[in-house]
Amino acid sequence: MVFRRLLRKRWVLGVVFGLSLIYFLSSTLKQEERIIRDRTLLEVRDSDHHIQWKIKFILGNSSRQISQCRNSIQGKSLLTDELGYVCERKDLLVNGCCNVNAPSSSQHVCTSCLANGCCSIYEHCVSCCLQPDKQPLLEHFLNRAAEGFQNLFTAVEDHFELCLAKCRTSSQSVQHENTYRNPQAKYCYGESPPELLPI
Amino acid sequence: MGNDQKRTAGTMIVRLCLLVAFLGCRLPVVGTEEDSGPFSTPFPSPLNADALLSTNCSQLTLKLDFSTKVVKHEYIVAFNGYFTAKARSDFISSALRDVDAVNWRIVRRDNPASDYPSDFEVVEIRQDTRSSLLTLQDHPYIKRVTPQRMVLRSLKLTDPGTDGASPCNDIRWVQKWQSSRPLRRTSLSLGSGFWHATGRHSSRRLLRAIPRHVAQILQADVLWQMGHTGSGVKVAVFDTGLSEKHPHFKNVKERTNWTNEKTLDDGLGHGTFVAGVIASMRECQGFAPDSELHIFRVFTNNQVSYTSWFLDAFNYAILKKIDVLNLSIGGPDFMDHPFVDKVWELTANKVIMVSAIGNDGPLYGTLNNPADQMDVIGVGGIDFEDNIARFSSRGMTTWELPGGYGRVKPDIVTYGSGVRGSGLKEGCRSLSGTSVASPVVAGAVTLLASTVLNRELVNPASMKQALIASARRLPGVNMFEQGHGKLDLLRAYQILNSYKPQASLSPSYIDLTECPYMWPYCSQPIYYGGMPTIVNVTILNGMGVTGRIVDKPIWQPYLPQNGDYVDVAVSYSPVLWPWAGYLAISVSVAKKAASWEGIAQGHVMVTVASPAENDVSNTGEMTSTVKLPVKVKIVPTPPRSKRILWDQYHNLRYPPGYFPRDNLRMKNDPLDWNGDHIHTNFRDMYQHLRSMGYFVEVLGAPITCFDASQYGTLLMVDSEEEYFPEEITKLRRDIDNGLSLIIFSDWYNTSVMRKVKFYDENTRQWWMPDTGGANVPALNDLIAVWGMAFSDGLYEGDFTMADHDMYYASGCSIARFPEDGIVVAQTLKDQGLEVLKQETAVVENVPVLGLYQTPSEGGGRIALYGDSNCIDDSHRQKDCFWLLDALLQYTSYSMTPPSLTHSKNRVVPPTGTDRPLPQRLEGNHLYRYSKVLEAHLGDPKPRPLPACPHLSWAKPQPLNETLKKYKYYMKILKRRK
Repeated sequence: MVFRRLLRKRWVLGVVFGLSLIYFLSSTLKQEERIIRDRTLLEVRDSDHHIQWKIKFILGNSSRQISQCRNSIQGKSLLTDELGYVCERKDLLVNGCCNVNAPSSSQHVCTSCLANGCCSIYEHCVSCCLQPDKQPLLEHFLNRAAEGFQNLFTAVEDHFELCLAKCRTSSQSVQHENTYRNPQAKYCYGESPPELLPI
Repeated sequence: MGNDQKRTAGTMIVRLCLLVAFLGCRLPVVGTEEDSGPFSTPFPSPLNADALLSTNCSQLTLKLDFSTKVVKHEYIVAFNGYFTAKARSDFISSALRDVDAVNWRIVRRDNPASDYPSDFEVVEIRQDTRSSLLTLQDHPYIKRVTPQRMVLRSLKLTDPGTDGASPCNDIRWVQKWQSSRPLRRTSLSLGSGFWHATGRHSSRRLLRAIPRHVAQILQADVLWQMGHTGSGVKVAVFDTGLSEKHPHFKNVKERTNWTNEKTLDDGLGHGTFVAGVIASMRECQGFAPDSELHIFRVFTNNQVSYTSWFLDAFNYAILKKIDVLNLSIGGPDFMDHPFVDKVWELTANKVIMVSAIGNDGPLYGTLNNPADQMDVIGVGGIDFEDNIARFSSRGMTTWELPGGYGRVKPDIVTYGSGVRGSGLKEGCRSLSGTSVASPVVAGAVTLLASTVLNRELVNPASMKQALIASARRLPGVNMFEQGHGKLDLLRAYQILNSYKPQASLSPSYIDLTECPYMWPYCSQPIYYGGMPTIVNVTILNGMGVTGRIVDKPIWQPYLPQNGDYVDVAVSYSPVLWPWAGYLAISVSVAKKAASWEGIAQGHVMVTVASPAENDVSNTGEMTSTVKLPVKVKIVPTPPRSKRILWDQYHNLRYPPGYFPRDNLRMKNDPLDWNGDHIHTNFRDMYQHLRSMGYFVEVLGAPITCFDASQYGTLLMVDSEEEYFPEEITKLRRDIDNGLSLIIFSDWYNTSVMRKVKFYDENTRQWWMPDTGGANVPALNDLIAVWGMAFSDGLYEGDFTMADHDMYYASGCSIARFPEDGIVVAQTLKDQGLEVLKQETAVVENVPVLGLYQTPSEGGGRIALYGDSNCIDDSHRQKDCFWLLDALLQYTSYSMTPPSLTHSKNRVVPPTGTDRPLPQRLEGNHLYRYSKVLEAHLGDPKPRPLPACPHLSWAKPQPLNETLKKYKYYMKILKRRK
């Protein structure tokens, strides 16, 4: 009874209302703040801010000695190592590098690549992309990378990773979602998407 | 041959998502008593009910009492298998014959189940009880004998509140809870029952409170106690996101958004639930609480998702070197090449992909992509009573049709109904669907990966090998429903931790006599002259991402086991990549066994080689040799009249093209995507024909490629494909020479086809159907020579034919028929008018059925019917197998069914001169998907007739002695069952 009478008091209601309002505002604001924080995971905070690309380019004579190589892992028969050598799986050394002396190995292969920077063989695309003279092209691409790509390319750490990632088919490779723009030359290191062929 | 994955350009598909179906399921808030969708009912344990009730309306409590007492003189005799009532009674009487126990009787159970085989019998024994029981127990078919117990169970709702005004205290509730099986309304009836009745039998159990912490049921706690909790394993959850501060997760490494919505949070609860099953650390515990979670938001709150989002997100997963990826999403479009290629690329980069097989069961032919891929672990759902969940998709893969045969999928099954997982913001909820079963496996895989010391050995193939080798087979379920069986975490742990890189096969042996596991193979023996039986085996190669088959697989028949009565042809993937390939085994009967009956055995040996990556010597390759035992049942070739040939070659489906449903009422499922095969959506029809003694074979090649003198009837159902001119001439000649033809057609109306076009959000383009339900203009070309044609009318309605209730669901009518033929007409609604103008009109005397005896000496018979829905399992309302029987009696045995010919509905055959015959829809794109047409300036033209498939039989290398090892092997397999 006492409680009920207390509730009828105007100031009590006022306090209750006030507290609710504060809670409401604070939680709303917090929510907004959180959304912003979340977005920063994905996107640049503001457009003037330049992303610090961490790419280290392999410059000049890349035949330097390294003990371990990363390579493109996935290939059905071919692989590209981080020095840009393409070789058959059987010519891969234990350290992950291509055996440069094997007849099948060659460096910076662009043979299946078109002028627009799209290749029909993934391993060729990666190898071609690792050519030192592709650096300006890649830097240009990175600086204006499409929004949807920033997740991917902000996480890329060096030239090899960039080429591995750039050459993969992506949202830029398809038309009507489920069809390649160009089913032949679909792996692109260049800036432009594959040529659009009619279905 | 069998397995080439045809790559046709221009595929357009809806990535339907499990998610959508899944989201249809509600929390087990039982408040509404209407609408029990296939996913809606949670687990029926009283415990659960209690919990639910109390959350919903706190003033209500549920009391469950139950007591049991032994019923005097009554005993339950449990058998080793399911037997008919007669067989059971024979067993018991033969067992009791010796003890002279005269005074016994079988207690009758009058319930609907008594028509079906059962695995127990209640027996009343009044004398000599002890000795009788002992003898009973000794009978080879009797498993055990236990006293009958009477279970008294009562559920009481008590309401401490005095006022009955609570909305929860509704009278309907009380009624519902009086049932001893709460929440399971009409569960025994087909259709609405949540539990899969499947026609199979699961042993009867008391309903008890089952602990539903799925990780504990699978004994993950054993591995936890050994210190394995998933640490160091990166798991990606591709789903609807996860909120940042969810209390259940301690190691969310990253959340990324790949959708067009600017949020990372889960608005639906699906992604949170899935992540919880994998990695929740409190309340409803996941499998691997210490694993590193990577949340990929690829699905919006409006349940939209595009292939292109997946492509980018998958690329990121590769870059981040994800170890395990769960995808509780799937769709029918296995011809979405960018997506399928990307999944291959992903697994080639050592990402173990686990995906849900789909929620489109119990229909066959409903497997979803990417779970149907060889390199992906496809997961089906079971309930906590080890029944295949009704919703779980099943049936073979349909990539290989029409020339080949589908692969076995799902790979394994695990709990998928009423599983508890993390709620959207906090707490736990319970959900059902294969989207639930998939993270159960993904969580188990994550935990397993963390137990392995040498992580190099863990790859998509070795993990899948460990899971399927350790899985527990469910009794009474075929391999196209359960794959290798139910996930067994601890056995998988043992196998994985003693794993040596090797190749293995799935299925690991071929026993075409083994029922029901090897259904449909076991349902029809093979015989000389039949179409070769194809088994599509998947080779898993744990040695490396690429591999090859060394030399050729070898066929070694066992001479003492009549292996030389079998011819075997093998085709296989030229390169096993990524981690897997196919091995198609075609089995045929040798001529010398044309009239022989018996069992023949042998084996196929395959050697797989992979480049040795970790081999320091770098001298080349690792190899692994696998043996595939083969056992078949041979019977003498059946007479022509018993043999039916099913035309698969002329059935087209989605993907790749828009081939609309045969029943236009089914608007939420507009595509014909189940393969139209006798082992997918025409499974019931196949079973029926088998039970009637017919032998059904499948023609996966043009009509020119079979010997018509072998078959009584060619059965063409709902054909969408065009016909080569050579096929038309050949069929005419065949029918003159005594082959009969049955055609079940379907609707084809160009105005309706234009009307059912739609804008497909998934591919962002307009979709116009390329045919109607069937390709009537093409069929008319085929049957024109006999003066027959179907119309472009579109009819629907119920009627009675020969005392059978029939439903005509979007069918056409017969426009022309020879005047000496028999035509039956019915009164139907004009559905075309309804679709186009929303008007209703009733049309009388629509000719639906025609029977015709061709005039030539010894010529065959032709039967036409205008609708295929009544023999198709998808969306069927009333079956008309009786009609098929009658038509087969007519075509195979020339017996004119009097019920049809003497009916009052018989009409004068239509001459079809009043209305033009249907023409092909102008501008249709059928040529893109057709094997017959090719694009031409102007109209598409037929291609040159392809050569008929040719099998090169493997040269047998006979073995003279029975391999003891083989026997031993089979024994192990049997024991494992």
